[in-house]
Amino acid sequence: MDLRLDDDELTSCVACGLCLPHCPTFVVTGRDTESPRGRIALMRAVQNEGAPVTAEVLRSMETCVQCLGCETACPSGVPFGHLMEGTRAALAAEGRITPWWQRLGLRLLRHRRLLLAGSTLLALAARLKLLPARRLGLPARLPLRRGRHRASGSDVWLFTGCVMDAWQRHTHLAVQRVLEAAGVGVTPTAGAAPCCGALHTHAGLEPDATDIARGVIAQLSGDDRPVLVDSAGCGAAMKHYGRLLGTPEARDFAARVFDVHEWLADRLDVLLQNRPAEPLELTVAVQDPCHLRHAQRSHEAVPVVLGPFVRDLVTLDDDGLCCGAGGAYSMLEPELATAIRVRKTAAVERSGASVVASANPGCSLHLAAAGLDVRHPLELVAKALDAGASAAP
Amino acid sequence: MSPLLAAAARRLGRRVLPPEPVDHADDADAGLVEELRAAIGAERVRADAAARYLASRDASIYSEGTAGPLCFPVTTTQVSACVKIAAAHDRAVVPRGAGTGLSGGAAPLGRPVVLSLTRMNELLSVDLDNGVAWVQPGMVNLELSRRLAPYGMHYAPDPSSQQACTIGGNVATNSGGPHCLAYGVTSAHVVALEVVLSDGSVVTLGDLGAEPAGYDLRGAFVGSEGMCGITTAAAVRLTPNPAAVRTMLMAYDSVSAGAATVSAIIAGGIVPAALEMLDKRCISAVEDFAKAGYPRDAASVLLVELDGPAGGVAASADRVAEIARANGAVSVRVAADDDERARLWKGRKSAFGAVANILPDYYLHDTVVPRSRLVEVLEQVYEIADRYELTVLNVFHAGDGNLHPILAFDARVDGTIERVHEAGREIIEASLAVGGALSGEHGIGVEKRDYMDRMFSEADLDQQSRLRAAFDPHCRLNPGKVLPSAHSCADIGSLRAADGKLWG
Repeated sequence: MDLRLDDDELTSCVACGLCLPHCPTFVVTGRDTESPRGRIALMRAVQNEGAPVTAEVLRSMETCVQCLGCETACPSGVPFGHLMEGTRAALAAEGRITPWWQRLGLRLLRHRRLLLAGSTLLALAARLKLLPARRLGLPARLPLRRGRHRASGSDVWLFTGCVMDAWQRHTHLAVQRVLEAAGVGVTPTAGAAPCCGALHTHAGLEPDATDIARGVIAQLSGDDRPVLVDSAGCGAAMKHYGRLLGTPEARDFAARVFDVHEWLADRLDVLLQNRPAEPLELTVAVQDPCHLRHAQRSHEAVPVVLGPFVRDLVTLDDDGLCCGAGGAYSMLEPELATAIRVRKTAAVERSGASVVASANPGCSLHLAAAGLDVRHPLELVAKALDAGASAAP
Repeated sequence: MSPLLAAAARRLGRRVLPPEPVDHADDADAGLVEELRAAIGAERVRADAAARYLASRDASIYSEGTAGPLCFPVTTTQVSACVKIAAAHDRAVVPRGAGTGLSGGAAPLGRPVVLSLTRMNELLSVDLDNGVAWVQPGMVNLELSRRLAPYGMHYAPDPSSQQACTIGGNVATNSGGPHCLAYGVTSAHVVALEVVLSDGSVVTLGDLGAEPAGYDLRGAFVGSEGMCGITTAAAVRLTPNPAAVRTMLMAYDSVSAGAATVSAIIAGGIVPAALEMLDKRCISAVEDFAKAGYPRDAASVLLVELDGPAGGVAASADRVAEIARANGAVSVRVAADDDERARLWKGRKSAFGAVANILPDYYLHDTVVPRSRLVEVLEQVYEIADRYELTVLNVFHAGDGNLHPILAFDARVDGTIERVHEAGREIIEASLAVGGALSGEHGIGVEKRDYMDRMFSEADLDQQSRLRAAFDPHCRLNPGKVLPSAHSCADIGSLRAADGKLWG
C-alpha cells in the first residue's frame, strides 16, 4: 500500500536506536513493534517493500502516543510526527483505522453548543449515577455549570477550544485573570473558533483537520492580535497550521500563535509590578506536556512564569517522558496509557511535590485520574495573585 | 479491494476492511511456537510477520536472515526454557538487547528463535560492601548509572549509544566508550555472570572475590558475542563518582596537530578519563544537531576529560592546556559548569546519528591502530574515501587509537553499497598493515567475520572455534557470527535457510 510518505523523510532514519528510551510505548513494552525505529521500518516495509498492512502493523501505528519524544531525541532529525500523521491519514482514508464511532465523536467537537449541552447531560447522568464516568475515562467530576466568557479588551485572543472549554473552563477564566493582571485585554475565542483540529490530525482525519484549520484562520484573522493558547496540544496543532495547509495565510497565522506561558514569560516583570502576589505555600512539580516540550519546544517558559508564585518548584527526573494522555489516547488505549502513567506518578512521588502543574488539559485529566492533585500553572498563579490582593492593606 | 467497497468504507467511516492477512508459509514453526507459548506465556511470544521483520535487523546494515519466533522472557528460568525448547527443535537461538549494535551481532542468520531480553531490565541488588551491583541483561547502560547515582556511584563503560544500549549487549561485545581510556572496557567492570548455556543449563562464571579460583571463564565469556551463552544477570563493578571533573575542548588547524597533542598528553604521564577527537566534517555535522559550540572552522577538535581529586584535576588541566598550546592548539576551552560539560559531550555522543544530516545512510567503521600511526592511517582513510567518491567523517577515541571512520552515503544510488564495502575493506587493511586490530569495541559479528583470517592464523581461528565449542558444542547460539565459516564447527548445520517470504 502506498502510504504517500516522503521518501527522503522515510530514509532519514538510520535505525541507531537512540529514540528507544524516549518512546513511552517502547519503555513499557520493550517491543520493537512499539518503538519509533520499528514503526518507521514498518512504514518502509509497507510503502517500499509491498508488505501487507497486517493487524500487527495497524497496532504498531495505533499504539503510538504521538508524543514526539523521539523527534527531540533523534540525532538525525527524522520528522517522525509528520511520518506518523501521514501514515495515519493514509490508513484512515482507506478506512483501516479510526472506526465510525471515533469519527462521529470527533465530528461533534466542531459543534460547540451540542458539545456543551452533551457534556452537561453527561455530568447530570454521572451525578445521578446513571453513568460509570470513571470507567469510561471521563473526569471524576464533570462540571454542571460553567462561568461565562466575557471579553475584557482586544489585545489578544485567548483560544478556548472544545473539550477543555466544556470541562475545564475555570482554567480559561483563571488564565484570563492572570493576563488581565498583566494589563492585557483578552477576547476569549469561544464560539468563534470551536476546535483546533489536533485530535483529528492524530486520528488521521486530515480532511477534517484542514477544514477546521481554515475555519479557525478565517475567524481569527483580520487583525494581528496574538492568539494565546493555554492548552499545549491545541497550541502545537495551531503552530502547525502552516505545514498543514501550506499557504502563506496559514504560515502568518501560525506565527501569531503562542503558548500563554511563552508569551507571559516576556511580560513577567509587568505582572509582578502590577500586582502583589503571595507565593503559595506548596511544593509543585512541573509536568512538561509533550506538546509543549517536544512539539512546541517552549516548555521552559512554564517554570519561569510559575516560579515567583509558589514556594518550591521541582523538576521531575524522568527526562520528560510522556504521561500517556496523548489527546484521546488515554481513552482509546487505556492499558498502555495506564502503564505509561505509572512511571510518571512514580516520578512525581520521588519529587516530593504535593501538586502537579500541567499546561495541557489531556495530561491533567489523565494524571488526575491517578489521584494526583493537578492544576494548570496559571491557575496557581491566579490563586497567588488573589492571595496577594487579599493580603494587601 | 473493490473501488465500490473502498468508497463505501470511506462513506461510512467504518473499519469494514479487515487487516490484510499474511500467508504464514512457515506453519512449520507452529509446534515450536505453541511450546514456547506454553512455557513462558502466550503474550510473551510473537510469531507475526511485523515482529519478526523488526527482530531480523539491528542498527547495522546487515539483515541476511529472518527471525523465527520472537520471545520476551522475564526470568532466567524462562530463558532456559526457551533455549531447551529451541534445542529440542534443533533450532538456533539469537539473544537480543536494544539492537543498537553496528556489526550485525544481533541480526539473525538463518531463521533462529530470537530472545529479546528487554523485559529483563531490573536492578537486582546493590552490594556496597563488595562494590558491585547485580543487574539483568536488559538494563539500559545509562539507566544503570542513573539508578546508582543515589549511592554516589556509576557504571564506567559508556558507549556512545549508552542511553539506549543494554548491559547484556555490552557484555556480548565487550563494549568500550570514551571513558574506557582511564577506566577500562566492559571486561574490567563485569566481575561475575549468570549465564544460560546452549543446553539450557544455568551457570555462574566468575565471582565477587578479588582473585577467583580456576580459569577465568568470565573473561572468556565477555566479548563472546552471544555465541557462548546468554547472560541473564551480571555483577557489575560500582565506580565512585569522581570528586572533580574538568572537560576541555581544544581546536586545531590540522588533524596531525591534534594527534600530536594526544601522544604528548599520554607521554606526559597524564591518563585523562577520556580523550576524543573529531574532524572538520564531523564537527559540522554535530554542530548542526547538538549546537555544542564546537568551532566550525577548526580542522579537528580534541575533547579531553580529566577526573579525580579536585587538586589533581586542576593541575592536570593546566598541564594539558600547556601541552595543547605547545602542539599548536588554536583555542582551549574549559567547560565552566555541568551544563556546558553536558553540551560538549552531547556533541560527541550524537555524532553517529547526526551524520544523517548529510546523507541518509552511514557505515561506521571500528578499527584500532597504534597511537603513533594515527595520523598516517587517517590520511589513508581520507585518500580511500576520496578514491571511492564517498564522504568520510572521523570521530574517534584518540587516546587508545580506536578509529571510527564514518562513511556517509545514499543506498538508493546504484552501486553505492558496493563502493562502501570496498572502501571499508581497504580501511581495514590499512589499519591491519600498521599493526592494528579489526575491531576496537563494536565486535566482529557479521561485519568483520570474513576479515578474521587477515588478522588470525588458521591455528588461532581453530583454537577460538574450540573455545566456543567448549561452551556451545552444538553451535546453537548466535551461529554464523565472528568465526569464518571454515572454522565455525556445526554452524552451517544450524543455519536453516531463511524462507525469504516473511510477509507471505
